[in-house]
Amino acid sequence: MPSCNRAARQYPPGDLAIWIFILAELLLFALFFASYAFTRLQHVALFNEYQQTLDRTSALVNTLALITSSYFVVRSVAAIRAGHPRQCSRWLWAAVAMGVLFLAVKSAEYAHHLGAGINLSTNTFYMFYLSLTFFHFMHVILGLVILAAVAVKAQRGGYSAAEHTGVETGASYWHMVDLVWLILFPLVYVMR
Amino acid sequence: MNRRNTHRYPLRPCTLVYVLLVLLTFATWAIGKAGLQGLPVALLVLLMALAKGQLIGDWFMDLRQSSGIWRWMIALWLIIPGALIASAFWLSYRS
Repeated sequence: MPSCNRAARQYPPGDLAIWIFILAELLLFALFFASYAFTRLQHVALFNEYQQTLDRTSALVNTLALITSSYFVVRSVAAIRAGHPRQCSRWLWAAVAMGVLFLAVKSAEYAHHLGAGINLSTNTFYMFYLSLTFFHFMHVILGLVILAAVAVKAQRGGYSAAEHTGVETGASYWHMVDLVWLILFPLVYVMR
Repeated sequence: MNRRNTHRYPLRPCTLVYVLLVLLTFATWAIGKAGLQGLPVALLVLLMALAKGQLIGDWFMDLRQSSGIWRWMIALWLIIPGALIASAFWLSYRS
């Protein structure tokens, strides 16, 4: 990959406040992941058995949806930096569509589990699975609201090549949502 | 805070990163689907996930050009929980 010839920036892209929020969220998810791994240590057989009941193909579709969505967000930031607000808006709406696909697939999974009588108190594995994925699910909803708001503003010409902090702020949050899922997916659905 | 950022995304490497992320995702899924298990497999899956996370941080979040702690915060976030998860799985295979 070509190296970047631009000088290092003091701060990451977007509003600094969102990065403080992102750090807090990442810390929380890190604690959740470590708790899952160490609780599993006490119930290895149970975790391995019930992990097999999860739908990995749905998780694959959801992972691809979030990765694709993140890539579309990258394209939206590239578009606004090049001074194309309408193009930026179109990429953001495409990202929103991928996020909605994630919610639809995950909702179908939840409906299946609830239909089978599974809930937080079924066992320790499901307690972790449901709470971890639902906590992430709520973050996806918040991310979609942010992306949609940014897309509307971009559509109305609210951002330009010179001023687009809002686009970068929304993008950074959305990438965090994707990043968390990239660890959650193998940890909960695959590693045994 | 309002900071002007007009540098362009290097789209070609970002597209390559996207393809790599998709390929690693399929590899992870295939391992799960095949029911492979064992400590080396678990650590390989974890390593792939951490690599994907670093790619997101460097290229999608565009942190590779930031300075100081911002440059390394995603790496730290991946390494610390990654090490804890790896330790827990290692212990589960030891006991």
